[in-house]
Amino acid sequence: MSESSSETIGEVRNYVESPIIMATVRIVSPFVFTFGLFIMFHGADSSGGGFQGGVIVATVMLMLGIAFGIDPLREWVGESTLVAILTVGVAAFLAIGVGTVALGGGFLEYHVIETELGVYHATKYGIEAVELFIGVIVASTITGLFFAIDAGKNDGDSE
Amino acid sequence: MNIELPLLAFVLGAALATAVLRDVLGAIIAFATYSLGIAVVWVVLQAPDVGLTEAAVGAGVTTVLFLLTIAKTVRPSGERVIERLDWPALGVSVLLVGVLLTTLGALPEIGSPDTAVLTSEVTTYYLENAYSEVEVKNAVTAVLAAYRGFDTLGEAVVVYSAGVGLLVVLGKEVFA
Repeated sequence: MSESSSETIGEVRNYVESPIIMATVRIVSPFVFTFGLFIMFHGADSSGGGFQGGVIVATVMLMLGIAFGIDPLREWVGESTLVAILTVGVAAFLAIGVGTVALGGGFLEYHVIETELGVYHATKYGIEAVELFIGVIVASTITGLFFAIDAGKNDGDSE
Repeated sequence: MNIELPLLAFVLGAALATAVLRDVLGAIIAFATYSLGIAVVWVVLQAPDVGLTEAAVGAGVTTVLFLLTIAKTVRPSGERVIERLDWPALGVSVLLVGVLLTTLGALPEIGSPDTAVLTSEVTTYYLENAYSEVEVKNAVTAVLAAYRGFDTLGEAVVVYSAGVGLLVVLGKEVFA
C-alpha cells in the first residue's frame, strides 16, 4: 500500500475519490440523518426507538467516511469530542433516571416531573429524551468502532 | 401467496453461501444478504422493531465494519470458489441444528391467539395501560423506556462498554 507517500498531499488517502459516490452521499445523507431522528422520536408511536435510530444516524457517519475518507472525517469530528459525546449520552440517561428518584419517584418514573416541576406531558417528553440519549450513545459508539477499526490498518506493517 | 417458504429458502441459501464461499469479500456480501432476509423474517413474525434493528445493524453497519476489517487481508489465490468442507465441524453443526430442531414442535403457530405471550397477565396489563400511564402508543417503547427503563439503561451501558472495552484493549484514550 502506498499510504505514506499520499499522506503528505492530504487529498488521496485510503479511499477511492469517486465523484459519483461523493455526489450521492452529499444528496442522500441529510435525508438519512433526518430518517434516523424520525425513527428515534417516532418510536413512541410506532416501530422504532433509540437503538434503531442511533444506528441509522451512525450510518450517515459511515457513508461520509466511505465517500470523503475516514481520516479527514475523524479530524472533522475530533477524536476526543466523540468520546465526550458518548460519555455525555450515558451521563444524561443516568441523570434523567436519578433525577426522577431525587424528585421522590422511582427510577425513570417520569410522572413526578409533571407533579413536582409542572412540566406538561412529562412522561411523553421524558421517553423521547431517553430515546434521544440512547441514540446518541449508539451512534457515537458505532462511529467510534468504525474509526478504531479503520485506524488499525495504518498500524502494523507501516510502523 | 405464501411468502414464508421462498423466504426461508433465501435465508438458508445466503447462510450456506456465507459458510462455503472461499472469497472473504463474497462471504461478507452473502452475510449482508442473509441479514436482510432475516430482517424480513422478523417482519413476517410481526416484530417490526427487531426487523428494523436487524436491517440497520446486520445488513448495514456490520457489513461496513467487516469490509474495513478485511482491508489488510489478501484475496485467496486459485480458481476454486467453494471452500473445502471441514467434516468434523460440519458434523458438530448438523448435530447442533438437530438438537435445536427438537424444540420446534413446542413452538406455537405464527399469530396463534393462545400463546403464552398473548394470554399472559403482564402482556394484558401493558396493552391496556400503556397509553394512559406513559402516554405512548407503541407498547414496545412503553416497556422499553418506562416500565423496564432500568433494564434499558443496562443495555445502553452495554453499548457504551463495548466502546470503552475496545479502547481498553487497544490501550488508547480516543477512537483513533
